[in-house]
Order: sequence, then structure tokens, then C-alpha cells
Amino acid sequence: MRAVLFLLPVALVLGGVFAGLFLYAARQGQFDDLDDPPERILRD
Amino acid sequence: MEGEADAFCCGGCEAAAAIIRGAGLDRYYAERAACPPRPEALAGAWTSVPVEARRDGTVAARLVVDGLRCASCVWVTERVLERTPGVVEATVSYATGRATLRWDPAVTGLGTLAGRIAALGYRPRPLGEEAAPDRDLMLRLGVAGFAAMNIMLLAATIYTGWWDGMDPAWAGLFRWTALVLATPVALWCAAPFFSGAWAGLRHRVLHLDLPIALAVTVLYAHGVAATLAGRDGYLDSLAMLVTLLLAGRLLESRGRRRAAEAAMSLAAAVPGTARRAAGGRLETVPVEALRPGDRIDAGAGEELAADGVVVEGSGQVRMALLTGESEPVVVARGDRVVAGAVLQDGAITVEVRAVGRETVLQQMAAGLQHSADSGLRPTAADRIAPWFTAATLVVAAVTCAVWLGLRGVDTAVARTVAVLVVACPCALALSQPLAAAAGLGAAARRGLLFRSAHALLDLDDVTLVALDKTGTVTAGVPVVTTAGDATLRVAAGLERYSTHPIARAIVAEAIRRGIPLPRGTGVREQAGVGVTGVVDGRPWRLRRGGPGEVLLLDDAGSRESIRLADAVRPDAAQTIAALRGLGRRVVLLTGDHPDVARRIARTAGVDEVVAGAEPAAKVSAIQGFRSAGHRVLFAGDGLNDGPALAAADVGVAMGHGAASSVLVADGVIAGDALGPLVAGFQAARACRAAIRANQRRSLAYNALAVTAAALGWVNPLVAAVLMPLSSGMVIWGASRVEARVRRREE
Repeated sequence: MRAVLFLLPVALVLGGVFAGLFLYAARQGQFDDLDDPPERILRD
Repeated sequence: MEGEADAFCCGGCEAAAAIIRGAGLDRYYAERAACPPRPEALAGAWTSVPVEARRDGTVAARLVVDGLRCASCVWVTERVLERTPGVVEATVSYATGRATLRWDPAVTGLGTLAGRIAALGYRPRPLGEEAAPDRDLMLRLGVAGFAAMNIMLLAATIYTGWWDGMDPAWAGLFRWTALVLATPVALWCAAPFFSGAWAGLRHRVLHLDLPIALAVTVLYAHGVAATLAGRDGYLDSLAMLVTLLLAGRLLESRGRRRAAEAAMSLAAAVPGTARRAAGGRLETVPVEALRPGDRIDAGAGEELAADGVVVEGSGQVRMALLTGESEPVVVARGDRVVAGAVLQDGAITVEVRAVGRETVLQQMAAGLQHSADSGLRPTAADRIAPWFTAATLVVAAVTCAVWLGLRGVDTAVARTVAVLVVACPCALALSQPLAAAAGLGAAARRGLLFRSAHALLDLDDVTLVALDKTGTVTAGVPVVTTAGDATLRVAAGLERYSTHPIARAIVAEAIRRGIPLPRGTGVREQAGVGVTGVVDGRPWRLRRGGPGEVLLLDDAGSRESIRLADAVRPDAAQTIAALRGLGRRVVLLTGDHPDVARRIARTAGVDEVVAGAEPAAKVSAIQGFRSAGHRVLFAGDGLNDGPALAAADVGVAMGHGAASSVLVADGVIAGDALGPLVAGFQAARACRAAIRANQRRSLAYNALAVTAAALGWVNPLVAAVLMPLSSGMVIWGASRVEARVRRREE
């Protein structure tokens, strides 16, 4: 059980890194237009 | 171009071609010599467009680009922008007509970039007032989702400990971790619900956000207290609930924004720039910089940027945008012209009389829009909210009182909290937006765009469909009905250079019959009079005969006639039969002569006709139907249809019609067809059914869950299972909308 003391923070930090990446991406406007990019590949 | 109809990929190409071969040829080049060789920067309004500073020193902004008609328009615009010095990134969305630009402010400016776009023949304009992207909701959803997943993992561990036993120290660690994760969810992610509830309270409306805010407060407060006391709380339910509700809200706002954007870009008609003649030179200025008294030039194919009076030149102006009539009007010195009208051919100089909001077009649009905005209507779920909240509070109070008497304070608090937790109308709040998004999507995929879910739902109540004639039941452009092959061949040879609707009809018919087009030489088009030219070595004249007739004359006195008429849309009869099949009464409502109206009605299969109706008479006819107990849908495309569109319960505009009709309408048919109306009715019915079923399900869930909680059968684990079940039920209900519409189509 003691491993949890190590694993819990590791899991949270890892999760937090991904949440942070998501926040960064959303702030950069990556999710502002979800409709056009899928069609873009068909056009070039 | 050889042997092809005048079909251009976009306004830019069409304008360019029209300018080069049009009547204003020499004039165009004379003006061009006066222009600087590079596209000039557009000053003025562009400096006030908000830009977003990025950390790397670049700035970004979004613009609307009107006139993008095809994928290559997008491609060209992007490439040209990317090659402009200073531009870091340029993307143009075909779906929304939005350009996202990122550039180095030290090298270039937004005015220059807009000038580059304008030079391609497209019309950039500032975004103006627009709903901000859902970035804020997206961020909150991301944080809530992250917290929810981690809390659920921790909760699963704690619940397992109920059976296997767990060291209180470990359980405490997990509970505290969950509390830390849940705190931003309750305090930041759930903020939209608190502000919604508060705004509702201030306006003395009980919004559905209120019981949600109440549940979130109780959940979090209980979570804190339970963690301090070393007991299990409902923090996992809290995080999941907020996540689901935010997802629903995001979906709703995306759907609404897309519908509004689609309608607005169809409506955007006035060009963003004008060519102003000042002191012997010509400069390109944004429309906002124009003042009454300025003189602006317009060439063939251009849209007029302002209202005014023609002071020089002549040409044919198409006012389809304003009146919905495709027939061009001849204008010359002294005639009034309005913004948004298209100069079909010729070249004119206009002295500006009114600009911007003062123009006829904008005033009409604003007036009609105002009458259409009757304020936000409460959804069915909002109407349930007051008594839902009251019932929850009463049940909670009774539960508290009864258990206080039977078992004492601890049990009473636990059961009351359980009641308040499971009473959270999460599923109820999701029921409308999910089904509405599915319904709006199903209608949009079939070519009918709705401004709001209300309009779509109102469609289900419609009992009578009133259709305008020109441009709605008919295509609104002339089609050749009778002409000899030889006549048509010569006429097409003369008309192949013209963009006039009649010319297009003649050329299109010749191509349809497989007649090789001869090349007319020495062709001269005289606005409002006709065309002269030489075909097969003989001179010919094309003149207007009577209404719907064009005469081909030669010097020897031969006289051949080509008859044209506005044809019924190919899918009109089928659509009208389908509307009847859905139990709707169909009426043709037109300002045209009764004979014409009846002929069209017969072809389209309509047996009720109200003919000779002026715009005011259309409104009173609709009001008459309404007072007779009908719910009326009116579909039309002209400016004069605006009042009728506003008077009807549901107004549907044709996307190719007048901009003002698009602005005032509840829905817009995106394509050039009538068929999407039927799909709209089917989507409305499926959507309504899904919402009703979802509301029944979620209310039944709430009743059951609250009863169980009041009896003491609900603990954190039961709540964690029940809540996603109820939301899943609602999501499943909404997901069946598309399938239902598809089944009806078969």
C-alpha cells in the first residue's frame, strides 16, 4: 500500500501535465474551429 | 469559357471577367493606370479591429471574408496571405468564411492584409459583434473532466474499501486528495451555473440553473464537512455532474453560434471597400470611411457600397438583394441607387447620399431584425424549473423534519443532503440542448439552417405553409420556354458575352440542346435596349419584345421570337406533395397576376392561391390564417417578403434571396431548392419527440431518486451510479433524432 504514497502524486502530476497541455492548446485557439480542419484535407 | 455557360467559381473571378469584357473596358484600364500597382492598404476601420497579442511578439485577429464560393477561393486566399511578408500564419475556413491571421506587427498591418484579400476580389470585413468562441466553456470543461476522472478513480478505491476494509489513514488521504481536486470544479468550473442562477434571481425568474447551483453548493459543502469528519462525501458525483452539464452547455452554444454565423454570412451583402474618386485620383477606402457627398466608382459586377445618385455613366443594376427580383433595372445620370445592389454591366459614378447604418438596406435589416428579436424565450425545461425547485425544497424540508423526529440530527442531515443531491436536474437540463443540437444538425445536413432551437420546435406546430411564388416556388431566374434552334444559336452567339439573366438563360438553353455556340463579332450591348452584333457574317439585333419575350431581328426584316418564363423549381411539386402528406395545408401567396399565379400553382400542385397580394396584403393574409387558428410558416426570398416573414410563426428565407429576408427569417434554406423544408418538418418532429421523451425520463428518474433518497436508500456510491445513468438515458434519447429523421425519409 505504501507505493500509493508515491504513485498518487505521480498520477496527479502526470494528469496535471495533460490538463495543462489541454488548457494551453485551448488558449491558443486549437479548439475554436472544429468543423473546418476535417474538410481541409479533402480540398488541397 | 468556350461553349460553357457563364458559371464562375466565385464572385472574384466573375467580377474580374465581367470587368475585362464588359462595357466599361476602356474605363477600367484608365482607372487602373491611376491606381498604384500593388494592392493598397485599407486604412480606417481596420485600425479599430481588436487584435490579440501573442507571446512571441506576433498579433492575431479574425476577419470575415465574404464572397468565398469554392475551395480554390480558400486556397488562393491562404497562399497569397502566407506569401505576404510578415504573415506567420493564415487560415481561412470555408465552412464559416472566417480568416484567422497571425502576423508580425513590425512588418505589416491588418489594413495591408485586408487589402490583399480585397485585391483578390473577396470582401474582408471586421468580425463586428459576434459571440466569443466557446473557449471559456472549453477550458472549464477540460478542468472539470480532468478532476472528475481522477476523483472517480479515488472514489472507486474508497468504495472498494467499504467491503474489504481500509485503513482510515489511507481513506483520509484519498478523501483529501478528492477534495483538493473537487475545489476548482465547484468554485471555478461551475461558475456559469451560479451566475446563471443569480441572473435569473435578479430578474425574478426561476431558471433551471438555480436547482443546479443549489445542488452544487450542497454537494461541495457536504463534501468539505464529510472530509473534515472522516466520512465519505459525494465529490465524485459533483465533478461528474459539472462535467456533463458543461458538455451539454458547450454543445448548445456551438450549435447556436454556427446557426447564427451561417445566417449572418448569407446576409452579408454590402462590400467592405469602395473606390473613391477624390481630386482626380482614385483610392480604395473601407466603407466606413465614406461620407455623404463622396463620389464612388463602380464597374460591372461590383456591388454598390452606399446609397446615392448616379452622376456619371449608365448601366444595369440588379436589385435582387433588396427586392428579390432578378430583372435588372437600367440606371443613368440622376437615378437613385442603393447599397447592396449589383451593377450588372456598364460603369457608373455615384454621389454618396447615405452610408452604413443610414442605407436603405441596413435600415430595413435593422428594423426587421428588431421586430424578429422578441427576446429569449424560456425553454420547456425552464418553465418546469420553478415548481421543480419548489418541489425539491419541500421534499427536502419534509425529509429533514421527519428524520429529525425519528432518528435525530445526523440521519436527518445525511438524508436531506442525499435528497438535494439526487434532485439535481442534470438530466433535465441536458434534455433540451442535446435533442435540439441533434435536431438542428439533422435539419442543417439537409440544407435548412435554423437560427435557434425554438424556431425548429415551432415548425412542428405549423399547420399551414404559405409559399411566395417568385424565387421560392419558382427558381426566380428566367428559362427559355420556346425558341427555334436556329434562332437560339444566333441569339446565344450574341449573348454569350453578357451576364444578364436573360442572356444566361439563352446560352444555357443552347448548351442544353447541344448547339455549338457561334462567336459573335462586334457585339455591343446597350443597357436596357438590347444587343447588336455580327454572327455568320450577318448583322443581328436582339430586342425586348413583350413581357417574357425577346426578338431576334435582322436587316432584311426577319423577326424571330424567343419566349422565356420563370420556371417552377424541379423539386417544387414533390416538396408540396410531401408537405401535404405531413398534414400541412399549402397556400401560394404572391403579388403576381392571378393568371400567372394559377398557372404556377397548377404546375406545382398547389390548389389554394392568394394572388395580387402586395406586401401588406401578404401580412394581413398571414394574420388572417393565424386568427383562424393556424400556425403559419411563410417561405419567401424578397425584401418585400420581410414583413410577411416576421408576421408568420416561422419564417424561412431562401439563401439566395434578399439579404434582409435572410436577416429577419427564423431559418434559411442554404441551397437552391425547396426540398429542405420537408426535412425541416421531419427534424422538428423528431426533435420535439426526443425532448418530450427525455423530459419524461428525467422527471421520472428524479421522482424515483428523490423518493429513494428520502427513504434513506441513497449513499454516495448509489448516487455515483444513478447520476450517469440518468444522463446517459438523455444522451441516448437525443442520439436517436438523426435515425428517426432518416427513417422517415425512406
